[in-house]
Parts: sequence; C-alpha cells; structure tokens
Amino acid sequence: MKLIKAIVRPNKVDDVREALGRVSLPGMTVTEVRGHGKQKGHTAIYRGKEYDVSLLPKMQIEVVVPDNLVDDAVAAIIQAARTGEIGDGRVFVIPVEQSYRIRTGERSEM
Amino acid sequence: MPTSPSSVDAARAELCALGARGEGGRAALRRFSDCVDDLLRRLFAEAPATTNPSLIVALGGYGRRQLCLHSDIDVLLLFDGPIGATEEGRVRSILHPLWDLRFSVGHQIRQIDDFAELEIDNPEFLLALLDARAVAGDATLLERIVAQVRTPAAHARILNALTSLIDERHARFNDTFYQLEPDVKDAPGALRDLWAARTIAALTDPALLDRGPADRTRLDDAEEFLLRLRSILHVQHKRNKNDLNHEIQEPVATVMGYDGAPRQQVERLMGDYFRHARAVSRTLRWVRQAAPVPVAVNLVQSRDGIRFVNIADADAHPESWLSLFQAAIDMGAPVADDTLTWIQQRVDRWPPEAFFPGAAERDGLLAFLRPRAGLYARLSEMHDCGLLGRMFPEFQAIFCRVVRDFYHKYTVDEHTLLTIRNLERLTTRAVKSRERFSTLIADLAHPELLVLSLLFHDVGKWRDDDHAEESVRMAMAVMQRLQFPEDSIALVDFLIRHHVRMSLIAFRRDTEDPEIVRQLADLVGTEERLKMLCLLTLVDVEAVNPETLTPWREELLWRLYVDTYNHLTLEYADERIEHLEAGLHAVIAGRPADVTEAEITRFAEGLPRRYLQLFPHDAIYRHVRLSRDIRPDDVHANLERKASWWELTVVTLDKQYLFSNICGALSSFGMDITRGHAMTNPNGLVLDVVQFTDQERFLELNATGHETFLDVLGSIIAGAIDVTERLRLREQSVLYRRRGGVTTMPPAIHADNHSSRRYTILDIVANNALGLLHRVSRVISRHGCDVDLVLISTEGQKAIDVFHITKAGAKLTEPAIAELTADLHPMLEA
Repeated sequence: MKLIKAIVRPNKVDDVREALGRVSLPGMTVTEVRGHGKQKGHTAIYRGKEYDVSLLPKMQIEVVVPDNLVDDAVAAIIQAARTGEIGDGRVFVIPVEQSYRIRTGERSEM
Repeated sequence: MPTSPSSVDAARAELCALGARGEGGRAALRRFSDCVDDLLRRLFAEAPATTNPSLIVALGGYGRRQLCLHSDIDVLLLFDGPIGATEEGRVRSILHPLWDLRFSVGHQIRQIDDFAELEIDNPEFLLALLDARAVAGDATLLERIVAQVRTPAAHARILNALTSLIDERHARFNDTFYQLEPDVKDAPGALRDLWAARTIAALTDPALLDRGPADRTRLDDAEEFLLRLRSILHVQHKRNKNDLNHEIQEPVATVMGYDGAPRQQVERLMGDYFRHARAVSRTLRWVRQAAPVPVAVNLVQSRDGIRFVNIADADAHPESWLSLFQAAIDMGAPVADDTLTWIQQRVDRWPPEAFFPGAAERDGLLAFLRPRAGLYARLSEMHDCGLLGRMFPEFQAIFCRVVRDFYHKYTVDEHTLLTIRNLERLTTRAVKSRERFSTLIADLAHPELLVLSLLFHDVGKWRDDDHAEESVRMAMAVMQRLQFPEDSIALVDFLIRHHVRMSLIAFRRDTEDPEIVRQLADLVGTEERLKMLCLLTLVDVEAVNPETLTPWREELLWRLYVDTYNHLTLEYADERIEHLEAGLHAVIAGRPADVTEAEITRFAEGLPRRYLQLFPHDAIYRHVRLSRDIRPDDVHANLERKASWWELTVVTLDKQYLFSNICGALSSFGMDITRGHAMTNPNGLVLDVVQFTDQERFLELNATGHETFLDVLGSIIAGAIDVTERLRLREQSVLYRRRGGVTTMPPAIHADNHSSRRYTILDIVANNALGLLHRVSRVISRHGCDVDLVLISTEGQKAIDVFHITKAGAKLTEPAIAELTADLHPMLEA
C-alpha cells in the first residue's frame, strides 16, 4: 500500500482525475498549494514595478493505492499531467503502514 | 362683499366685540383676514393696470389667516418685470387706501428677478415665505419664488435661522416659560413657539407632531387659548401689545370666564396659561431634538433613517424614489423602515418605465450604482421592499431562485447582490492582499457599468440552460428600455456574455501558456475591459460561498490579469491593422455617406490593431474626417465635453516634440491629463486622443475658451509659443501652488526591450504632477527617440504611462536606455 503524492499544474487536475478513474482509482484528495522546484518562478513586471512570483500555484493530489496498482497510477498521472515544459510537477510514492476507516474503525487492507 | 371703508370698520368692530368677549380665536381671526383679503382684491382690481403681471402676497400671521385686531398687515407686492412709474401708481392705489383705513401695513415691493438669488442673509423673509399666500393677481409668480425655497439647502438655512431666532427670543425671557407677566406672542411656550414647532415639522417630518409629547388637538387647544388671550389684549391695550401684565390679568380672567374671587380668577387663568405653555414648550423641544435634517429634495434624515417629507408628492412621483436610496448612501444611513413599508405597499401600482422616464433618471441610476460603502445594503433594501424587482422585472425573475449545485450557497438574487457587496468592500476595506485589486477600481472610467453588469450577470439563471446568453438578452432589454448609449450597451453585453471566461481560464487552463494569455488579450481588447472582467470574476467567485475564493485562487487570477495586461500594453504596437482585415471591413461597411472607403483605409491601416477596439465606429469616422486634407503644418483638433471630463483629439503629421507639446499645452491651462492614447500610422499621421479634467473650469467659464485653447495648441505645436515658458508661469501661479505637487511615492521606470518585436517600452509610474507627460516626453525626444505609441492612465494620484519608442527606426541599445533613464530619474524626482 502506497501513498502517491503528485504536484501538478492546476489545470491538469481534471485530466489526472479522469486518468486515475480509468485505472480504477476513483478516490483522491486535492489541495491547493504553492511552491517551486526546478521551475523557480520569476520576477514579473506590472506597471513598471517588479514583484516576486517565485512561489507558483500548484495542485497537490494524494491517492493511496494497493502495491499492485502503483505503477499504473503513477503512469496515469504522469501521462495526464505532462506538457513537456518546465513546471509540470513531481510524483512521490511513499509507503503506507496501515489504514483505518474512520466511520467503522475497521482496518483497511485495500 | 365688505370692502367699503364702512365694511372694514364693521369687520373691525365685530372682531373688537368678539375679542372683548374672549371669542377672538381662530374662527374670528380668519373672518377678519378674509375681510382684508376682499378689500385687497378690490383695491387690486381697481388699481391702474400695468403690462407686467403682478400679485399681492399675504405674509406672516396674515398669511396664516390669523390677523389680529391691531396686527400689521404684512404684504409683498410682486411684479413680473421692472417697476416703473405705472407700477408705482398701482402700488400707491393699493397702499394708500389701507393707510387711510388705519391699517398698519408691513409692505415689500419687489420684482420677481430680485429673487433670482434667494435671500439667504434674510432668514426672517425666508420664514415669512413659508406662510405666504396669494391674495390677488397672478398666483404663478408666488409659485416661482416658493419653488426656490423648496430645496434641502434652503430648508437647512431656514431651520438654522429659525433655531437662532428661537434661542435669541428665549434668551430675552431667561429661557423659561414660567413668566408671571408673559408676552402671549413671544414668550417661551407662547404663539411664536407653537408656530415654530409646526414650521420645523412641516419642513422635516409632519408626523413629528403625532409622536411628540402633545398631540395635534392639544396644540390646537393651546393655540385657540393663546389667540383668544391675544385678541383680548389688543382690545384692552388698544394697540398691537401682547403683554399679559399684572394690571390686565384680572379683567382678562373675567372676560375668559373664570369663576371666583379676583385672585382665584387670575390663578386659574395663569394656571391654564402655564399648562398650555408647557405643552407648547415641550413640543417645540421635542421637535427640535427629533427633527430630521433635510438631505435632498423632499428627503430628510431622521433617527431611524432617510424618509420622504411630503408623502403625497412622493406618491405622485415614483421617479423620485431612487433618490431616497441615493441619499441614504450619501448620508451613510438606512432608509427608514416605515418608508420601506410605504414603498412596498405602493410599488406594484407602477410599471417599470415610471421609475426611469428620461435620461436624467437613467443617469441618476448610474450615479447610484457607483461602488462605495452602503451600496449593497441599499440595494438589499430595494430588493426586500420589492422596488428593485419592480424597476427591473428582469431581476425579479431570479427572486429567491434556487440553483442546486455543489458550490453555490445562496439564492441567485442574493449571490448577485453579494457580488456587489464584494466590489464595494474593495473600495472600503483596507485588506492588504486585496490592495492590488482595489487599485483596479480606482482606475476604471465607468465602475458603475461594472455594477450594472453584476446586477444582471446571472438573471438568465431563471432558466436551467446556458444562462450567460439569456442574461445578456435580459440585460439588453433593460438597457434599451433606459436608452443607454451604444458604447455602454456594448460594454455591459461584453462583461455579462464573458463573465465566467476569466475564471475558467485562470483556474482550469494553463495560464503559463502564452497562447492562452494572447487569446484572453484578444477577447478583452482593452485594459479597461480586462480590469472590469478581472474584478467581476473576483467578486463573482467570492460570492459563490465563503470558501471559494482562496488566496491560491486570488493569486492565479492576479497572475492571469498581469500577464494579459502586459500582453496588451507591451505588445500593443506590434499588431497593426492590415489591409481589409475583418475589423476594418466592418468600419468600412458601416460608414456614413460622407466618408469614403479610401479615406478610412488611408487613415487606419498601420495603426495599432487595438485602435479598432478602443474606439466605437462613430469616433473612428470623426477621426477620419479630422485627417482630411492634412498638410505638414496643419493641426486638426477637436475638443469635446464628456461626462465629467474633456476629450482632446488631435490629428496631424508627426513632428519633433509633438506629443510633448500637446501635453504641455494642456498642462499650461491647468488641465489634468487622466488617460489617453497616442499612436502613429506608417505614413507619419499621428492620432492623439487625450482625456483630461479642467479643474480650474477654464473651458466652462470662458465663452471663447475652446477657440483660445485650440489657437494656443496650434501655436505651441508650430513653435510660435514657448510651452516651457507657459508652464513655468503656470507653476508659479497661486492656483498651482494651492493644488500642490507633493511627491508621495518614489518614481519607477522600467525599460523593456523584450516584450515587443519593434519597440523599446518605457513603463513609467510617478506621482501625478502638472506637466509630467510634457517633461517626460521632452526628455525622450531630446534623446533622439521617436514616440510611436503612448498609453496614459492614472490611478488616484499615480500616473502610469507606457511609451513605445524607437531610435533611428530601431529599438534602443542598452547604453541608450541607460542614458535615457539616467536623465529621466532626476526629472521625475524633482
């Protein structure tokens, strides 16, 4: 069981959701985030004055998947979120030890 | 008709007899006043005729029909024209018989032109006018004068004057009505106080007398008692004397019918007097404390809000109802609850057209819709009492409309009003993260049209399908009904039609893609529309539910705005109007008979493409006409008054210091340049359109101001007048020193050699000051640079000017930019 955390362009969330749906992963958590990686942002000019735009708006998608679907899920995310330009984002895969369903308290094996 | 001397004597004898019996109250005084009316009518009819219409006006107590036995007859003899020998003869024929009949006459003889300026320094006369009554002659003369008194300003002056007169009079009596020898006319609690209380109520809120410590019947009783006393006193004193002194109290008590020994009679008389005086005194105090303040025509501000004074007048004029809410915003107060209820009960009697019968009411609506504190609250009041929906049935279509989706938390009507509240908050709340959006509002030429667009942006949601198209259809019905000008209609159409477009792009598209930004820039076309669409998007998203507009989304929207703004302003000049492109074709197709296709093509081809979006077709045809037969030394210019500003259009062939000279000419007349465009076509034809405010009202106050300005402009451009010298003199003038030019922010210059293919772009932000554009462009010209395009805008006291320049037909080199900015900086900081 793995937690897949993907940082993607805001306009790619719908595409990623559809792609994950196609590999039978309908559930996800989406968070608005700001940050930068290699694409360090830039200084923009507005009316003759510079202002800092180094922290770029991104979307963070989190989805927990069974080990056997991790590769499909990662591939689906990358395929859906990719433009080929700097700033497409990152995908992290993190081990998950246990998972519980809050409503029933039962342990979920996925 | 008792108009002969003997009849007057008989009337006088009758009043004397009634007074002596203690029966000289209201009815008796009215009969005597009517007798004098008849006498004056006869004298008026018998007096020598004049060509000027004339009128006898009764004033003061006589005007109120409470003429006492020995009171002055206060009259105003009014003529509609100069008073010459004939008129004087007519006056004599009226006044002499009155004097012969032993009347004491307080007369004024005036011609109506005397009242062109109301006599604000004569408050007693203004007060007398409130009781004025036409007795004989052309009554319309009085109506013309009274109309001038029926203004909030005049009412305020009258109330102030009345208050002062009351205070002075009370001071003479040591501010107490417990006088052992009272003056039944002037003492506190006596007749003058009673009339003052009625006057204050009549001018502010007639219902005040119903809510006060004494009801109307109680006041009427007091008046009757005091008038009876006064009539007895006139009989006893045999003259106009109103003192109820010790000597006279016993006979007066007897006449008034009090029983008992003389001392008991007097005590009963004075007991009743003080009871009445207390009622009058308390009423006057209540009225003075509770009286609403006049704030607009037929409107006052009371403790619970704004209300009409004359309900019957308001009832007959629904077109005045919006002014109630306008005054409420102006005064920072609500509309009184009972007034809202009153509107609610009557609003359905009127069709929508009744509220906006003409251009004045439409312009009143626009003034009302200017985003500022209180607009949402007042619109909500209008909505709650049914007025908004009655004025605009299109808005009523979304009354309590429920659209069920995952996001919206409010009914459609409330969502709509919340968008306006959010816009209003941008103008009133100092929220750091929103400052950048707030500055956009300050920059808008017509923020009220943005509010109008917001009001109707979702009315199409009364149906379940695509609402934007339906909203446009319904909004256009409103705008055509109110006969808005074409450019306003086009702007509102655009904003409503595309009101979800920018949020869609900001939140659902890759805004880092230059093509996406270019498409949005093409859609909006101008910075003004971009700013309006951005603000509309912001407040619309925020009104969906409290969590929708996250800082993250704000940031996305702002970046899209900045990228699009930069695309519009920095790459503006790169895209030029090409031969017979679609936009130009439409201009040609719709041209009037006097403009040829060749003229349009010659003029417009090669101008920046956005020229076609910036100006409506009518303006383009005017520009084409101005460009006709232009020779190198010609300057074809036009000056036109807009709403609160002026617009100067200049067409000429390019020459050195041209733009600098135009700006200098305007500044040398004290004009404040607020926005504008200067552009050049490949044939060297220059079009400058500059909007400015005439703060010293030179053009308004001088009959030949237009011609003078255009003459000076032409001479400056031709080099016959030294504009620098004119500006130097202007800077030394008292007017300029009073306006001041204090620098409040450090200037910023940004030179951009990358955004445009053809031009170096100078982005200059500096404190707005007299002659700023002139000085900046002069420095640029001095460096051998050609100014091909200028975008001028202001944001409060900040001037934001974007120059697209070249040197010898190419972009500037980096050293040349460094030299230029090095010269500009000290000039801007000076």
